[in-house]
Amino acid sequence: MIRLEKVSYTYFDKIPALSDVSLKMNKGEKVAIIGANGSGKSTLLQIIGGLRYPVSGKFFFEGIDVSEKSLRNKGFLRFFRERVGYVFQDPDVQLFCPTVLDELLYGPLQLEISKEEALDRAFEIMKMLGIENLKDRPSYMLSGGEKKKVAIGSVLTMNPEVLLLDEPTNGFDPKTQCFLVELMLALNEAGKTLVIATHDLSLVDELQATVGVLSEEHRLEKTGNAADILGDEELLLRVNLIHEHIHRHGNMAHRHIHSHYLFHRHESE
Amino acid sequence: MENKLPSFLLDQPSPVSFKQGKGRIKMGFLEEGIHHLAQLIKKGYVQWELSSGSGLFQKIDARVKVLFLLFFVIIVNLKRDLLSELYIGGFIFSLALLSRIRIVTFYSRVLFLGFFLGFLIAFPSAFNVITNGEMVGPVIRFSKPINFWIYHIPAEVGITREGIYGVIRLTLRVINSLSLSFLVLYTTPFSEILRALKVLKVPDTFIIIITLCFKYIFIFSKTAEDMHLSKKSRMVREATHAEAREWIAGRVAFIFMKTRLRYEEVFKAMIGRGFSDTIKLYGFPKMRTGDCYAGTFLLFTGVFFLFI
Repeated sequence: MIRLEKVSYTYFDKIPALSDVSLKMNKGEKVAIIGANGSGKSTLLQIIGGLRYPVSGKFFFEGIDVSEKSLRNKGFLRFFRERVGYVFQDPDVQLFCPTVLDELLYGPLQLEISKEEALDRAFEIMKMLGIENLKDRPSYMLSGGEKKKVAIGSVLTMNPEVLLLDEPTNGFDPKTQCFLVELMLALNEAGKTLVIATHDLSLVDELQATVGVLSEEHRLEKTGNAADILGDEELLLRVNLIHEHIHRHGNMAHRHIHSHYLFHRHESE
Repeated sequence: MENKLPSFLLDQPSPVSFKQGKGRIKMGFLEEGIHHLAQLIKKGYVQWELSSGSGLFQKIDARVKVLFLLFFVIIVNLKRDLLSELYIGGFIFSLALLSRIRIVTFYSRVLFLGFFLGFLIAFPSAFNVITNGEMVGPVIRFSKPINFWIYHIPAEVGITREGIYGVIRLTLRVINSLSLSFLVLYTTPFSEILRALKVLKVPDTFIIIITLCFKYIFIFSKTAEDMHLSKKSRMVREATHAEAREWIAGRVAFIFMKTRLRYEEVFKAMIGRGFSDTIKLYGFPKMRTGDCYAGTFLLFTGVFFLFI
């Protein structure tokens, strides 16, 4: 369904973001792109979302080359955008309509869905996300978590086949994070393809996603299933997703690999 | 959870195929303009931030460069003959070459702005309505001179030799001033310029205004570009001109509001780290011998241009 062939990207012809990344994703799959800060996760996701175009290499969606040129074709633009939804890391970026309700209606109205159905979709999504009370609020008067919910809702109302989520659990309290993980699993069970960019290893574990690891040199280091990747401590250390850590318990000093969720495991255990 | 999903989210997409749409999407003029403006500002910002190349001017102390800029801008605007302006232009060109600046990008910006800020503004003064002199290009002839209020329009209106000379002189002055400014800006990081201004006793209020304007422009352009990307991710068809105008009109206020809020947060962060109304910067290192030589050379060159 999604295929990247030797994709490279640089910002302002100076700052490298991706280097020769090749990757395949199948329909209905859960894929997590993981990597340290600045490794190119968001750039990769934006290329898959047709928001940036590779400096070199190719990106194919359903076998069709996605480029600035192909997305200028009316038929393909509609085909691509109604199937691929993008949730930005920073919800402030995503929200540009006067109120929450307008935000949720924007996508369906673009798809020329009838106003009644668009409203139905918006209210159903608000109910599911528990944000019905916010419908008339402007986005700049929402809390961080509320903004993120609205951002996710604004994409779900378009019912895309592929959901691209950039750091989806960032900024949520633990309860909402749990709700969001359940929502992602439910959407995947309903047939949606999920592609997330994250450095939250516990999220990868919970989703049991197929994982692509980006190194700090912006290369795809390894792909594999969650268990394989999360078990490869040497790889995770190399790409700076976990680190060695020394601390004391009374008079005893421990050295162990540290990641808040998965690797807080003492050598003596 | 699945049974909590709205039913429309369980709908399967239509079979994979797409109809080749007739025609191509054209990005609206206003929309494209906003996108390119944001890109341009951001590119300029990054270029500025990364102005640490290994050319001649990059190695010179920022204080010397700021004094050079002020001194030469005064000289450029004092000179009255075209040849001197051309010599100064040639000198700046050679400095840009030695500083390994991308000459084409550099002069395309200088000439673009020079055309609007120099030539277009000065062009009306080429006519004998404003500048009297020897007529070299008659444009229109009236049956008799027209006197209106304090204005006198002669029977024959056209371009004069003295007018052309004035327009060229002003355009060259603007181009030289812009080249000097861009040369310093392209070869000096913003923080260095601020520190040089501080050392040269420019009032703090002025430096604060420059710093905050700079930050504001960047945040504004980033917000505009992000909004453009966000809209693009949900655009499935070409917007009509009317829709594009309506969207932009509705978003201008919104962008300002968002930018202002973000900007206020930045300002709060500055206050949170102890910012008051005085700017405290760590001092410049002592001037190196090379900087003193460069400063002396530029001073004597300036004096030379002043007297030729």
